[in-house]
Amino acid sequence: MMHAIKPARKLGVFRRALAHRLLSSSPLAGAEEAVSVDIFNPSPEHAALREMVRSFVNAEVEPQALQYNREERFNHALFRRAGELGLLGVTVDPEYGGAGMDATAACIVHEELSASDPAFCLSYLAHSQLFVNNLARNGSADQRARWLPAACRGEAIGGMGMSEPGAGTDVLAMRTTAKKQPDGGFLLNGAKMWITNGCVDDTQLGDLYLVYARTAGADVKPSKAVSLFLVEKGMRGFSLGQRIKDKCGMRASPTAELVFEDVHLPAENLVGAEGGATVCMMRNLEIERVVLAAMAVGIARRSLEVMNSYASERKAFGQPLSSFGQIQRHVAESYAEYMAGKTYLYQTSNALDLESAGNRLDTDGVKLFCTTMGKNVADRAVQVLGGYGYIGDYVVERLWRDSKLLEIGGGTLESHHKNMVRELAGVQRMP
Amino acid sequence: MITRSAAHSRVHRTFSRHLKVMVGVKRVIDYAVKIRVKPDKSGVETANVKMSMNPFDEIAVEEAVRLKEKKVATEIIAMTVGPTAAQEQLRTALAMGADRAVHVVTDAETLPIHVAKLMKAVCEKESPDLVILGKQAIDDDSNQTGQMLAALMDWPQGAFASAVSIKDGGLEVTREVDGGLETLAMKLPAVITADLRLNEPRYATLPNIMKAKKKKIDKFTTDELGVELKQHLKVLSVEDPPKREGGAKVESVDELIDKLRNVAKVID
Repeated sequence: MMHAIKPARKLGVFRRALAHRLLSSSPLAGAEEAVSVDIFNPSPEHAALREMVRSFVNAEVEPQALQYNREERFNHALFRRAGELGLLGVTVDPEYGGAGMDATAACIVHEELSASDPAFCLSYLAHSQLFVNNLARNGSADQRARWLPAACRGEAIGGMGMSEPGAGTDVLAMRTTAKKQPDGGFLLNGAKMWITNGCVDDTQLGDLYLVYARTAGADVKPSKAVSLFLVEKGMRGFSLGQRIKDKCGMRASPTAELVFEDVHLPAENLVGAEGGATVCMMRNLEIERVVLAAMAVGIARRSLEVMNSYASERKAFGQPLSSFGQIQRHVAESYAEYMAGKTYLYQTSNALDLESAGNRLDTDGVKLFCTTMGKNVADRAVQVLGGYGYIGDYVVERLWRDSKLLEIGGGTLESHHKNMVRELAGVQRMP
Repeated sequence: MITRSAAHSRVHRTFSRHLKVMVGVKRVIDYAVKIRVKPDKSGVETANVKMSMNPFDEIAVEEAVRLKEKKVATEIIAMTVGPTAAQEQLRTALAMGADRAVHVVTDAETLPIHVAKLMKAVCEKESPDLVILGKQAIDDDSNQTGQMLAALMDWPQGAFASAVSIKDGGLEVTREVDGGLETLAMKLPAVITADLRLNEPRYATLPNIMKAKKKKIDKFTTDELGVELKQHLKVLSVEDPPKREGGAKVESVDELIDKLRNVAKVID
C-alpha cells in the first residue's frame, strides 16, 4: 500500500509559505501576500470562514460554554444557530444544502469552536462529520437528497454508531447484526455504546444515525461482513439505552447507548454495498481523526493565550511570572508544540481528499501528536495559573478535562500506534 | 392585508422598479488590535496586523441588506477606495448580501475629500438612489466623507442615522442629537451615515461566503475616475498618547479644591 505523504500540489503550497517567511525579511511585506500563502487559511474563503466562526464563537458560543458544561446539557438552540450559519454541511455539495468546501474548512470550524467550547464542538463533529459527511461521501444520490438538507439546516440531529459495549478499538469484533429479510430489508439487533448525540436530553434520542452492523456470518472475513445503515428515531424497536452521565469532560455533549431490538430497516436504508462498509468506515475515520486533531489545536491555542497573558500580568516576588525560567519553559514549549501540531494538521488537511481512503499514516499521525499536545498545553496553562487555573471561571480547567477525551475517542492513541507502524512498514525513506 | 398591499404599491409607484443603494466600505485595522506606533513616528504599524471592515461600514451594509430584504432596495453596490487587499473587505460586503462591488485601487494615503470625490465619480457612473456610509472610520475618526459627498452631489444628508424608513417616496431618518432624537424627512437621492445603534450587523453565512466568490468586482484607478489625490495635509509625527500617571489621594474636600485650583489648574 502506498503511504500517505502524497500530494506534490499541497506540499508546493507549504514550501511557498515557508519560502515567503524566509525571504520576507522586511517587516513591511504586504499583509495580503502573507494571507495568500498561509497554510492555515489557504484561500480567501477559508480566511472568511475562520473570521465568521470566530465572531460567532465570541458572541454566542463562549457566553454559554461554562453553564452548559456545569449543567451537563446539550445546547440545542446553539446547534440550530450553527445550521443557520451554514456550518453543519461544510463538506457537503451545495445541491444537498452544504457549502462544498474541503477538509481544511472542516478543520477551521473545529479549531475555532473548540477554542471556546470543545463539548459543543464534539457534538458538532458527530453530526457534521460522522453523520453528515459520512452520508455525503458514502450515500446514494437518493439518500443524500432525502436526509442531508434537513441535517445541514440543523432541523435533524445525527450521530454514528460503531463502538459497542464489548468492542471499541477492535471494531470488526462488533456483535450488532442486520439479517437480510425476504422483502430485501434487514432486521437489526444489538447495541451501540459511547454514542455522541445518542440523545439530546435525558429521555430523547437524536433523529438520525449511521449504524455499522454485521450482515454476514463467521464464515465471511470481518472486512467483508460489515454494512452501514441509516436508522431513524421512531423506528419500532429502536430505543435509548444508558444515558452516560458524569463524564470527566465534554459534559455539554450528550453520550448514550443505542439499543436495537428487531428494528426493521427498509432496503433503501442500506448505505453503500452490503458487506462494503469497511471502506466507508475508513474514509470517514480519516476525516474524523483530522478534525479531532483540529479540536486539540483549538484547545492548545486558547490555553496558550490564557497562560501567556496571565504570565505577563500576574506578579510574584515583584516580577511578572513571565520573568521566571520555570514559567518561560511552560509558555515557550507550549507555543513551539502548538505551532508544530497546527502546521502538521493543516499540511495534512490540505492534502486530504475527502473522496479517498488510504490516507492513514498522517491522519493517524496528526491525531496522535495533536491530542497529547493539546492535553499537555492545557495542563501547563492550569499550572501557570495556579489556583485560578483549577476553577471553572478561568476556562483552562474545562479545556484540560475536555482534552483527555481526544486521546481516547475517535481512535485511542494505541490504535494510532498500531495503524502507523503498519503503514510505516512499507516506507523506506521518510519525507 | 389592505394596508400591506397599499404600502407595497406605494413603494412601487414611487421608486418605479429600481432602487439602487451604494454602500461605502473601508479597510481599517481591526478594532481589537492594540495599535502600535512605528519607530520612525511616520504612522502606525500596519504590517502583519489584522485588518477588517470598518465597524460602522458593517452597519451601513447591514442596513442596505435589510432594505433589500424588505423589497425596498433592488440592488446593492459595495464600494471601496484602497489597496488591492481591500478586496477582502468587499468580499465581506458581498458575503453579507451586496450584489456587486466597485474597487478604486490605490496605495496612496486618502483624505476624506479624496474619497468623497471618488465616490462622486462612481455615483455619476452608477446613479444610486441612496448612498449609505459609516458615520466615521475607526482609524482616523474623521467623520467627514458622507457630509462631503452630499455637498459635492448637492443631495440631502442624514448623518448619524439611528433609524431609517421609507416614507412617501423619500426617507425618514432619525438622528441621535444632544437633546434627544431628531427626525428628518428628505427626498432621494440622498446620503445617510450610519450610527452605532442603527442595527446589529449579521455574520456572513458560509454558503454566502462561497457565493460571494463569484460576484463581480469592477476595478478603477483614480486616474480613470479623473480624480487627483492632492495632498492637503502633511503628517509631521505620530506619537503614543502620554502614559496615564497614577492619581493621588486627598484627605478632604478643601484639599481637593486646592489641588484642582493650584496643581491641576482646572478651576479658578
